[in-house]
Amino acid sequence: MLHFGSGLNSPALAMWVLVLLASACVIAPLFAAPAPQQSQTGGLGAQITFNHDIAPIMFQTCATCHRLGEAAPFSLLTYSDVKKHAHQIVDATKSRAMPPWLPEPQELKFADEMRLSDTEINLIERWVEQGEVEGNPADLPPQPKFVEGWRLGKPDMILTAKKPLVLSPQGTDTYWNFIFPVPIQQTRWVKAVEIRPGDKRYVHHANILVDRTGASRKRESEPGAGFGGMEIRIESQVFDPDSHLLFWKPGTIPYVEPDGMALRLDKGTDLILNTHLQPSGKPEVIQPSIGLYFTPQAATKLPMLLQLENDLRLDIPPGDKNFLVTDEFTLPVDVDLMAIYPHAHYLGKDMQAFAALPDGTKKTLIHIPQWNLNWQAVYRYAEPVRLAKGTTVSLRYTYDNSDQNPLNPNHPPARVVGGNRSSDEMCHLWLQVLPVNFDPAQGDPRMVLQEALSRHNVEKNPADFEAHYNLAAMLQAKNNLDGAVEEFAAAVRLRPQDATGNNALGAALVAVGHPDQGAGYLQTALKSRPDYFDAHYNLGFALAGQDDFEGAAEQFRLALQLQPKDAAVEANLGVALAELGRYPEAKTHFEHALQMDPRQPVAKENLEALRKEMGKH
Amino acid sequence: MAWGKFRSRLILLAMAMLVSCGFGHAQTGLSLDGRVVNPFAASSGKIVVLVFVRRDCPVSGRYAPAIQQISKRYGDSASFWLVYPDKSETAQAIRKSVAEYGYQIPVLRDPQRELVRLAHVQITPEVAVFDRNRHLIYDGRIDDRYIDLSRARPAPTTHELEDAIQAAMTGGSVARNEVRGVGCYISDLD
Repeated sequence: MLHFGSGLNSPALAMWVLVLLASACVIAPLFAAPAPQQSQTGGLGAQITFNHDIAPIMFQTCATCHRLGEAAPFSLLTYSDVKKHAHQIVDATKSRAMPPWLPEPQELKFADEMRLSDTEINLIERWVEQGEVEGNPADLPPQPKFVEGWRLGKPDMILTAKKPLVLSPQGTDTYWNFIFPVPIQQTRWVKAVEIRPGDKRYVHHANILVDRTGASRKRESEPGAGFGGMEIRIESQVFDPDSHLLFWKPGTIPYVEPDGMALRLDKGTDLILNTHLQPSGKPEVIQPSIGLYFTPQAATKLPMLLQLENDLRLDIPPGDKNFLVTDEFTLPVDVDLMAIYPHAHYLGKDMQAFAALPDGTKKTLIHIPQWNLNWQAVYRYAEPVRLAKGTTVSLRYTYDNSDQNPLNPNHPPARVVGGNRSSDEMCHLWLQVLPVNFDPAQGDPRMVLQEALSRHNVEKNPADFEAHYNLAAMLQAKNNLDGAVEEFAAAVRLRPQDATGNNALGAALVAVGHPDQGAGYLQTALKSRPDYFDAHYNLGFALAGQDDFEGAAEQFRLALQLQPKDAAVEANLGVALAELGRYPEAKTHFEHALQMDPRQPVAKENLEALRKEMGKH
Repeated sequence: MAWGKFRSRLILLAMAMLVSCGFGHAQTGLSLDGRVVNPFAASSGKIVVLVFVRRDCPVSGRYAPAIQQISKRYGDSASFWLVYPDKSETAQAIRKSVAEYGYQIPVLRDPQRELVRLAHVQITPEVAVFDRNRHLIYDGRIDDRYIDLSRARPAPTTHELEDAIQAAMTGGSVARNEVRGVGCYISDLD
């Protein structure tokens, strides 16, 4: 008996994952600065001095970034430093442009809140009004101590971008992606990632995306060149949802994952650093590096990133000052909410997220009254927030597409729709959640969450191709193949020529025993994308399933031209040739496959069968 | 007679303008090699544009390409000077910075703030435009790109500096709506 390999190359679980995410930002100097003591000097009319009142604020909150080598353009570590910018500091703190912290104070506290109190802001203003008195040297707290270089000590592995980016001196913001292949031979677990984005003064923020597919490399003009673009999508062929928020912004101290929540890196994984850069007025060379800290402890707790979104509702008329977009999702399992990451582009205005708990209470998860893309961040809760099954999480964003929004990319305002370019708009809210209180025997709770979310997205926007596609992939992962065919078909009805959709539908039809129907969709996929490896491979199966072994062999050969080192294709080409009675050729391909992968099961099993078959004659 | 009265007012006004545009004050800065330079005397009858910047002011830096483009565009009619009002800045540090930003216009230090006073500027970056008669016809921001310290437009929608230069070229007037720049206060410097 000859067997074809089982693996249909469908993006079985091709989740469309929007890349944005990365890790934690802890912002605090590594010492406890004394709080300003206002008992003696804070009263109206009392003398406010730098040494006694202002230095503690600067050291604790400002100097994290305002010191040499960090993101801020000048230091704030001495009296003379601060005096040179005194009125500017008053402007910046009163308008709350500095320190950059967008959320309003709320009941659910964030870790490392970087926010000055009204009292502190008032103190700075009065100090300047009183003539910026330096005060008694004995009152000056010790200089804050910061760790230089890698914050967590020398990383276990340091990756540096192969090719630096030369940032243009002028123009608008630049979005650039650097690819870091991870040179590991086996799976490693990462407890912390430190991002050193290059010259911190010009990098506004950076996210790491984990690409387990190699897809991003194909976007480079040459290996190591990197590629432009604000938002990235990565398709995954298995259910392997994004789980960690790996984020850098100025002042970030790397986040060490809680015990048991390490990030998995496999051989062949690429880390994509998505950076937001701002021109300085002169050319700047940006060459980021990433430090990885490993742990032997494999992950035992598996968080996932839930995405609320409603990009399809974004069709904002020019001049509209208050365009409202909402989304809401009811949790099918208990979770602990660890972190939250709201995201919009330049029209975003007021951004809110809530949780309505089954007991009737409603909590604000975050409220940003004046969104500013430049200071976007991942916000981690000081304590995980328990959200019981049945909790409805919701987002409520407003957008200002009028001329009164100075950040409006269009002048005069123009219609803006959802999309990946910075001049398009987005409505995303990422929640890092850890499922709790589940019965492992009932299956992976992340799949329950993902399926519920996919169904929600299909109901929300029945014309959303990706929603149908993701639901289908989810159903396929659960082995609900008929359901998968139905949803892939719905996706293809929305985009009849889409290569990915047709490939997935074709593969699903082959899997449920309709190779004749499947072949048609696979051929459509190849018409749209002739160099589509998966579709050639799957069409090979579809033709073999109809006993067209000549056709199957041809498709496997075409697939091999695209990926010459694929042992599974070699093996299946061998099977097709063996079916045609071309045993010596078949044998050669089985042997090739085993040279590439000595454990290739299809080649192994069939080579044995073939030797017996050839031995008979 | 009414006529005579009118004339005398005109003369008074002209005198007032002379004072306000600074001939009563010193109007020199220091070149990077330490010479005393009067930018008005050295501008051979052209319009004079003083551009005030600070090396430690990021907004100043981000305006460098715009300043150079405008100085090239109007170079035939106007003489541009980059002015550093921070007396603690060394000529060497300024020279290095000017080279990094690729400035092609002459540079002055203004440690005594003579040019600052003459130009009425308060912030870096701000500019002052003097017409061929050395009358200060504009002082303030370059354009409206910056809204505040954390927000900048993708591109400016008003162009105050260029409007002022054009007014100086044609003898027209400038709407002096006194919009200050966004950036760093000169008064914070010693």
